[in-house]
Amino acid sequence: MADYDESENEQQMDCALDLMRRLPPQNVEENLVTLLEILPEMTEDLLSSIDQPLKIRQDSKTGRQYLVCDYNRDGDSYRSPWSNEYDPPLADGSVPSDGLRKLELAANEAFDTYTEMYYEGGVSSVYLWDMDDSFAGVILIKKVNDGTVRSKGSWDSIHVVEVLEKGRQARYKLTSTVMLYTVASGLRGDRQNEINLSGSLTRQDERDLAAEDSNAHIVNIGRMVEDMEFKMRNSLQEVYFGKTQDIVNGLRSATDLSVAKNRERLQRDLFGQLKSRNE
Amino acid sequence: MSSDDRIAKAASLLLHSPPGEVDDVFNDIRGIVNDDEALQAQIEPVLAESNMQQFLVVDVPDKEGSKVLLTPYNQVDGGRFHDPNTNTVFAFDHLRRAAYEPEEAAESGEHTELRARLQRSLEQYVEAHFADGFVSVFEHEGSVVSCLVSNKYSPGNFWNGSWRAVWSYDVAKGQLNGSVKVRVHYFEDGNVQLDTQSDFTCDVGEGEVAEAIKKFEAEFQQGVNDGFRQLSERTFKGLRRALPVTRNRIDWEKIANYKIGGELANAE
Repeated sequence: MADYDESENEQQMDCALDLMRRLPPQNVEENLVTLLEILPEMTEDLLSSIDQPLKIRQDSKTGRQYLVCDYNRDGDSYRSPWSNEYDPPLADGSVPSDGLRKLELAANEAFDTYTEMYYEGGVSSVYLWDMDDSFAGVILIKKVNDGTVRSKGSWDSIHVVEVLEKGRQARYKLTSTVMLYTVASGLRGDRQNEINLSGSLTRQDERDLAAEDSNAHIVNIGRMVEDMEFKMRNSLQEVYFGKTQDIVNGLRSATDLSVAKNRERLQRDLFGQLKSRNE
Repeated sequence: MSSDDRIAKAASLLLHSPPGEVDDVFNDIRGIVNDDEALQAQIEPVLAESNMQQFLVVDVPDKEGSKVLLTPYNQVDGGRFHDPNTNTVFAFDHLRRAAYEPEEAAESGEHTELRARLQRSLEQYVEAHFADGFVSVFEHEGSVVSCLVSNKYSPGNFWNGSWRAVWSYDVAKGQLNGSVKVRVHYFEDGNVQLDTQSDFTCDVGEGEVAEAIKKFEAEFQQGVNDGFRQLSERTFKGLRRALPVTRNRIDWEKIANYKIGGELANAE
């Protein structure tokens, strides 16, 4: 755009984000590509504001898998949390300071255990970055189930955490997004019904907790993430799946409504007659 | 990409609107394009396609109480639409969503009786199974095509849903082909969408079309409910456990001390 206008860009960004909250989450990557074609001058902003399904890569040095997203991207390269190196190699790619890198490695090991216990497989990566007097980070988890023909899905967790150290205390601000993709087939009669239920959910939490050393950061963040995922998993299963199914069964009633509709109509007529008699 | 191509791309996103949110998506596209004049020049055919895709229910002008669906099956020359129940042809403003210029249609069609019969039977079916449904039956290229829609919008409670079906009966072949599509958008603190579609085909006599439609749609609904059970009992549980196998939450102190203690000691 020839004349750069701050408020104009802001409006376009707000509309782009609102649009992404409405378009089918099943096609989030496709929709993002379309947006980038429409607004090429806002590529960086769009990429950093719109969550996409995480991609798995392999660290050629350690052989371990890691996740890539906008948080470990520098140009066209991604940093591995295991080797701390960029792929494709980048001479001056940004990396955390030495102290933070130690914490990052430890957090990666801790969340690797967490992921194994809850996801029984799956890949996780933690990336931390330095802030003024403090730090922030992201915990990523991905689990894919290619499963059987009758059931497949994927789960992506993106937990962004900001840590504000205040003496022996720290304030943790957590913003968590879960992106879920599930497909199941039901068999009725001689045909297959495929149903695709997918979506993303975002929640926030904020806590002030004691943090005497860097171990404590991992314990605190770990608990917050675990609580958050517990709640979000429940919401997805109980509320979102349940609610969506209720809505479908409200669109079409399996039982005959005409009896109930007639009764309603009769009641209305009767009420109308009574009312006019009383007037 | 030229500016026109970019606008066309943006406009085409309208066709992916969730049920009941075409206006919101349109406003987003308008804000993104940020050039009303250029958008105006390209949006008309997309709006027309969107209205037909959604099976918009419209009032037939000058025929009080009569409604008809906008579909590709009752579109006639010059983008006008036909309502076979009142035998009216009318023009439609896709931006304002208003019908105008009604005219009496010339008598046409070879299966008028079958069409009228199916319209009546399906109205009874819709009355019985849809709280807020609507059906229009048309003659289209030698087939009798029934279009059915049921929308429920509750944006205040963060959800919108739609059930749409097309049933095309090829009279010469005695074959019924149909497809049912259901979409639900649930958006409290997120964006969760259900998308499901199923296609059907079978050979039936003229008198059994309505019964076959009813049977297939009931089966489809059961299939969707089976699918939900499958999702919740297998797919979802296979992704993430509610608790680890130990049935206890993670002991973070232990993980931190065990792993981190070692790591940090080694590193220092």
